[in-house]
Amino acid sequence: MSRAVTYITTLLLITLASCMKWEYGLEEDFDMSTSGDGLFICNEGNFQYGNATLSYYDPETKTVQNEVFYRANAMKLGDVCQSMIIRDGIGWVVVNNSHVVFAIDINTFKEVGRITNLTSPRYIHFLSDEKAYITQIWDNRIFIVNPKRYEVTGYIEIPRMTMESGSTEQMVQYGKYLYVNCWSYQNRIIKIDTETDEVVDELIVGIQPTSLVMDCNNKLWTVTDGGYEGSPYGHEAPSLYRIDAETFTIEKQFKFDFGDWPSEVQLNGTKDKIYWLNDDVWEMDVTADRVPVRPFLPYNGTLYYGLTVCPRTGDVYIADAIDYVQQGMVYRYSKDKELLDSFYVGIIPGAFCWK
Amino acid sequence: MRRLLIILSILLVPYLAVAQESDTKDWARKGLHIPEVSVYGTRPIKEIGTQQTKFDTLVLKENIALSMADVLTFNSAIFVKNYGRATLSTVAFRGTSPSHTQVSWNGMKINNPMLGMTDFSMIPSYFIDDASLLHGTSSVNETGGGLGGAVKLSTKPANARGFGLQYVQGVGSFKTFDEFLRLTYGDDHWQVSTRAVYSSSPNDYKYRNHDKKVNIYDDDMNIIDQYYPIERNRSGAYKDLHILQEVYYNTGKGDKLGLNAWYINSNRELAMLTVDHGDATDFENRQREHTFRSVLSWDHLRSDWKLGARGGYINTWMAYDYKRDVGNGTMAHMTRSRSRINTFYGQLDGEYYIGNEWLFTANLSLHQHIVESEDKNIVRQDGNKAIVGYRKGRPELSGSISAKWRPVDRFGISMVIREEMFGREWTPIIPALFVDGVVSKRGNIVAKASLSRNYRFPSLNDLYFLPGGNPDLKKESGWTYDAGLSFAVGKEGVYSLTGSANWFESFIKDWIIWLPTPKGFFSPDNIKDVHAYGVELKGDLNVALAPEWQLGLNGTFSWTPSINVGEPRTPADQSVGKQLPYVPELSSTVTGRLTWRTWSFLYKWCYYSERFTMSSNDISLTGKLPPYFMSNISLEKSFAFKWADFSVKGAINNLFNEEYLSVLSRPMPGINFEIFLSITPHFK
Repeated sequence: MSRAVTYITTLLLITLASCMKWEYGLEEDFDMSTSGDGLFICNEGNFQYGNATLSYYDPETKTVQNEVFYRANAMKLGDVCQSMIIRDGIGWVVVNNSHVVFAIDINTFKEVGRITNLTSPRYIHFLSDEKAYITQIWDNRIFIVNPKRYEVTGYIEIPRMTMESGSTEQMVQYGKYLYVNCWSYQNRIIKIDTETDEVVDELIVGIQPTSLVMDCNNKLWTVTDGGYEGSPYGHEAPSLYRIDAETFTIEKQFKFDFGDWPSEVQLNGTKDKIYWLNDDVWEMDVTADRVPVRPFLPYNGTLYYGLTVCPRTGDVYIADAIDYVQQGMVYRYSKDKELLDSFYVGIIPGAFCWK
Repeated sequence: MRRLLIILSILLVPYLAVAQESDTKDWARKGLHIPEVSVYGTRPIKEIGTQQTKFDTLVLKENIALSMADVLTFNSAIFVKNYGRATLSTVAFRGTSPSHTQVSWNGMKINNPMLGMTDFSMIPSYFIDDASLLHGTSSVNETGGGLGGAVKLSTKPANARGFGLQYVQGVGSFKTFDEFLRLTYGDDHWQVSTRAVYSSSPNDYKYRNHDKKVNIYDDDMNIIDQYYPIERNRSGAYKDLHILQEVYYNTGKGDKLGLNAWYINSNRELAMLTVDHGDATDFENRQREHTFRSVLSWDHLRSDWKLGARGGYINTWMAYDYKRDVGNGTMAHMTRSRSRINTFYGQLDGEYYIGNEWLFTANLSLHQHIVESEDKNIVRQDGNKAIVGYRKGRPELSGSISAKWRPVDRFGISMVIREEMFGREWTPIIPALFVDGVVSKRGNIVAKASLSRNYRFPSLNDLYFLPGGNPDLKKESGWTYDAGLSFAVGKEGVYSLTGSANWFESFIKDWIIWLPTPKGFFSPDNIKDVHAYGVELKGDLNVALAPEWQLGLNGTFSWTPSINVGEPRTPADQSVGKQLPYVPELSSTVTGRLTWRTWSFLYKWCYYSERFTMSSNDISLTGKLPPYFMSNISLEKSFAFKWADFSVKGAINNLFNEEYLSVLSRPMPGINFEIFLSITPHFK
């Protein structure tokens, strides 16, 4: 009998030696107020794993700080960090599958507030200190919010769009009008009167316009991805479009080859050059009549996923998601195509935001 | 010996619905019988060289709340990836992926043909009478495609005499109710059984959320405080009903007929992530499944040959709904997915013995899948509605022949040749070679080794899912071998001790992985080459500690490096030479069972080493999954009366109330309790 007790006690001791813990974070103090330029990198993380992160890069010192949101706040950023903008020293970080937009101090990375009650937020655009729009996917509404009170104040219903195929994306303002590209199973740019919060017009482009910017000449640029093979919505060669914001008409269509996957249209600081990804990195004057023959940076085995251009120096930053389950790499090139730096960030670096 | 153990195990479980079995009441008086060890003389020629783990009835019928995922977690060293309580649970052998595990039920493959894998949380262990794991090469004896291995699940006649009934009620934490009913009838020729399990729970266990904080604002909306909230598992409710009907007929002249029909009606919410800031009442995230599986079998047995034929059918309807409250309580669909799977199955088996030295087998099976997948409803450019999805059919043919030779008692060799056809594509010949031999009669030390090639075809979603399916995928291929030693010692009525140690190594090429694309959806590709190797240890000890005191200990341990040996994806790729993410390098289980008279105490423990969440094996603050230890206990008391047998069982899960995660952002329950009452009336 005593042997039995010994056996059992030994067994219990083995199990008690366990050391499993779901850890708490520790709040770290940052002060980036002295750094000049700064680049935030939104790392999407893996869908449904809640491992999105925010990185911060100082171009001057060529140093990067990863997971700054977690380190500053001792909590996770969430699931799929989609985009970020800065307004008056506050960074607004849109975390898609966490249904939240965090407001953070851009020097300390500390949270100052959050907007919740969102469906599946993608991008945020400020109209004033007390009014902003947040676009959504899987919702046929754009949410109107009061960023000061962190609350949803209304909705803009998008015509001819169901919840299931709802998709509104990037926003560009021209006067009192706001233009929004509608992407997933969509083919249009919509025009919203920001005074009445109503869709007043729309422009049909190709299948699935993925991004939207406005150049120095008030021309909107969008690029379509053309859908995919077998899609009941259609599959076509993608195109880059130049659209006059005033007349809301297509001025120019630049066609790509069938099967190309262009994405990530970006502008330089002076807004006279556009950049995009299509295996290689491409650059083109906004007044050009045709796409250049040679890319700005040719494909070199890197899976380009994100792109930005420094508004002050013109340096081009490209994100490589590698295999999508490890820390991605960001490459920094000068406008003369010289590799200046490279640094690891978080999983799936997809979007950038300049301080 | 194994048969003896199984019989003993049955005797230990009074609420097993074999109502009229004569020994049911005797086990308590007699205690657990420790059998005399005899191993090499009873090695079946059919199992020459195979690495197999069999689960006895004690393990499978431990309690009605357990799924096969729970059983495998605590009783085997294979990796069970668990997304939460009553949520998707997949299993993987030897550092491979869940789709590399082939699963059969009464001979019919039940891997989801769309996904390639099996959800083990949907298989109540009370519905399984026989379960075994075929590690690596050994799976080629049963099927192709098991690059990691195969799980064989089956039912068998209850051996009832007359009518029998068993009812078990379980009541537990989080308003969990588990109910089990079994009705049996049997005579010399017929065995009929009906089993039903119903499990339900709001599953709203509390946990402190370490991943997010709640803000407290002042009137000007400045944050004045933050705290980690104690939350409930949100939207995790489930209601699962399973009904299993079995009819067996034995002519008594060597012919057996069987009919098994299993119906599943599952309605489960998908719990919100720890990092979800949405309001649970605003969203509904639900998965429903209706599945009907049936197998009709005929076995024709003669003294030196056997013929078997099986036919089966599976119908599965699955629905996934993700809804959002758009105001006034109106829930609008964000996603509405539907899929229907029809599978027709047929199989022929033959065995032919020449003396005790030769066994020849042949096997041919066909699974014809017809799949309809509707993933999304959209509005087309012309304004008409359309559905994003696919409809495909695929026949899957698998045939094998084998010759097994045991020229002397101490040595056996077996050769299997298998070939498979999926759609119109054939695999090359799949060869497998097995040998075993008795190294020493003292200690019954047996050496085993095997070697095989294997292939796995892409699943239907891999090929055709919209968007992202890749019809140009190649089939995965692998070489694997293993070698090991086992021993068995013991003394009649005093103790028995068995153990085994195996080394394995496999090389898998063209491993299929789904990755995001710049177009915003995922797509599969033949990405990785993987080198998996390691060691598997098993041990089993039964000791008669004192009169009426019995101790049973069972342990497993695995060391499974699973290394990416492919080419770097890009110049910055840090994953080459690293362990695959979410594959633990070390895992272990220990089960201890102490019985005294009519009391039985069970201790279960499992361990998984830290799992990497990144292919580069970097451990970040936000991607950390520390080692995973878990301890469960239960205590059972049985009562035997003239008119019925009773038992009362109390179980405690997560004994040390650990706060832990099995998968990132999926909280697991803390300590929780369940009580089971069982009654088995006697109809005499």
